[in-house]
Amino acid sequence: MTPAAATATLAGNHTGGSVLVALQGIGKDYPKVAAGGDRLRTLWGLLAHRADIPHFRALHGVSLEIRRGEAFGLVGENGAGKSTLLKIIAGVVKPSAGTFQVAGRIGALLELGSGFHPEYTGRENIFLAAALMGLSRRETREKVEAIVAFADIGQHIDEPIKHYSSGMAVRLGFAVATALTPDVLITDEVLAVGDESFQKKCIRWLERYLGDGGTLLLCSHSMYHVQTLCTRAMWLHEGEVRLQGDSFDVTREYLTFHEEKNRVQEQSPRAAEGLNPLIRAMRLERADGTVAGTFASGEDMVLQGLAWSPDGRAPALLFGIVRADGTPVYGAHSDDSGFTPLRADDRHFAFAARFPALALLPGKYTVRIHALDPEGLRLFDTLEKDIVVTGRTRDYGLVRLAHEWRPGTLRPEAAKAP
Amino acid sequence: MPATVYAHRWLLASFLRRELGTRYAGSVSGAAWALLHPLALLAVYAFIFTTVFRVQLPPTAGGASYTAFAAVVLWPWIMLSEGVTRGMESIQSNAGLIRKVAFPHALLVYAAVFSSFAVHAVGFAAVLVTLAALGEPIHLLRVPLVLALLFPLCLAAVGVAAILAALQTLLKDVEQVVSIGLTVVFYGTPILYPLALVPESLRSWMNVNPLTALAERLREVLLAGSGLQLSDLWLWAIALAVWWVGLKFFERLSPHFEDFL
Repeated sequence: MTPAAATATLAGNHTGGSVLVALQGIGKDYPKVAAGGDRLRTLWGLLAHRADIPHFRALHGVSLEIRRGEAFGLVGENGAGKSTLLKIIAGVVKPSAGTFQVAGRIGALLELGSGFHPEYTGRENIFLAAALMGLSRRETREKVEAIVAFADIGQHIDEPIKHYSSGMAVRLGFAVATALTPDVLITDEVLAVGDESFQKKCIRWLERYLGDGGTLLLCSHSMYHVQTLCTRAMWLHEGEVRLQGDSFDVTREYLTFHEEKNRVQEQSPRAAEGLNPLIRAMRLERADGTVAGTFASGEDMVLQGLAWSPDGRAPALLFGIVRADGTPVYGAHSDDSGFTPLRADDRHFAFAARFPALALLPGKYTVRIHALDPEGLRLFDTLEKDIVVTGRTRDYGLVRLAHEWRPGTLRPEAAKAP
Repeated sequence: MPATVYAHRWLLASFLRRELGTRYAGSVSGAAWALLHPLALLAVYAFIFTTVFRVQLPPTAGGASYTAFAAVVLWPWIMLSEGVTRGMESIQSNAGLIRKVAFPHALLVYAAVFSSFAVHAVGFAAVLVTLAALGEPIHLLRVPLVLALLFPLCLAAVGVAAILAALQTLLKDVEQVVSIGLTVVFYGTPILYPLALVPESLRSWMNVNPLTALAERLREVLLAGSGLQLSDLWLWAIALAVWWVGLKFFERLSPHFEDFL
């Protein structure tokens, strides 16, 4: 499906609140300002309203509509134009082409800790940030305690921002943005910086904000956050819209794109053949034999591998699956199943492991395959692949366990005494 | 344009507080520097022009000493030159904010100029009272009238600073030109010397500079005790024109600042 077609089919897909952000054919050219001569020509061009300014293109033909109560994700590689687009919506950058309308108060967290004066204390910066959003000093005073409580940085609130760690600045920035209850909240990689517990706090706040009808524009490299928080998403590639639509579809396509890109890069020579067994190749396939990096929960997955043995004896194998955060999910030895890999030539052995109806819950995982000595005692070599499991479910945990709900047999007498 | 400023008055107040607060933050004697710098200049000029060159003051000086004669115009000049310089730098020194937040950029220029005027107005008032106490013929009752002369100066400073700030953002050479320009204007305006000492043939040229008229009027009001005149409206008219043109120029370029910072 071409990007244009994708945009067209999805345009009618969403209904609901009034349009808060509407962009039509937005483009942005940045002037080239490295040389003094270019600067003079640009100055003259701007004053005379002429178009022939030396420039490079950051964005081209971006159209987008965000309605009240919607959460919209923005994904793309570094330099794809995500930040420029967010800045245009926030009103910081003037687009060079196209039209845009923005209704309501925009709260923008662009590259965090921004808008803070380094010499000022956290508390003083709260007042400055509130003034930037149009609040009077009295209105701000009512909100300060809530902001300080949310940021939760203790005594540091009365120290100059320049002594803050980047994480602390983020906490304060997010706290300020949340307390001022904007109509549209723009966040650029906010969730990536804070520590684990603050991230959870932010997510909880965002979920409540969205539940209360807030509107969110989230730019993130975490597909997980885009999938869980956003209903729709846009993939920007080299300044143009590559795909726009349902957040699950967009993130899946985006991840697949990266898989393919990495596969090309990974064909580098492996460690020299030595005296130990090695894994020479590994790939993950769907049931029909196509290579994939993204699997739907419940789909079949096949791990194909090629092992090498220095003495021609078949090596033992071990696979393991861990969640992206390192939590082990499951692993098993080929020995225990009495499996011996198929000899492909003198020293190569081919093997496969099939996972029928993958029980993993949606998320990111790493699949590893290890080569062991034939006795299955020592582990020598490892290859791994990241996979994304997609799906929509309210189940939680790591894997789906077979279960069924049915009528119970307990009598009321079994209830604990009050 | 005044409507924009009013709509963002809390932001302007915040910028002003920030300008005044950070100006001497971290220095030992704090705000005292605001007074010490012009006082030191005044001492140097007084030495040069009374001991070395021995300037003869005209009778219109009302019998004031050279120190009082120079002081009544030196402080307004410092307000202007500092306001213009700080206003010019205001966009660059707040690049971090401009890149991340949407707000009318002109507020930064206003805040920089207003804060310079406010700081030195306090110093000016203190110096005038001190001079009067030392027996100089300063007409303290006329001091409120001075505000009617300083306000157009402030407006004009905003206009000039806005043009320079916009240019400085796009071309880095402006700063250099301005420091030379300010020196030329400083010595081309009768601040350290009476206009009467300037040869007749050059005087009409010097009168082209509205600052010449302002300097003369400041002395007439403070030293000779004259009231306001209808011709002072000219100073207002010129100031309003400079302010308006300056801000129009600024607004034309300000949407593009982010591209250059």
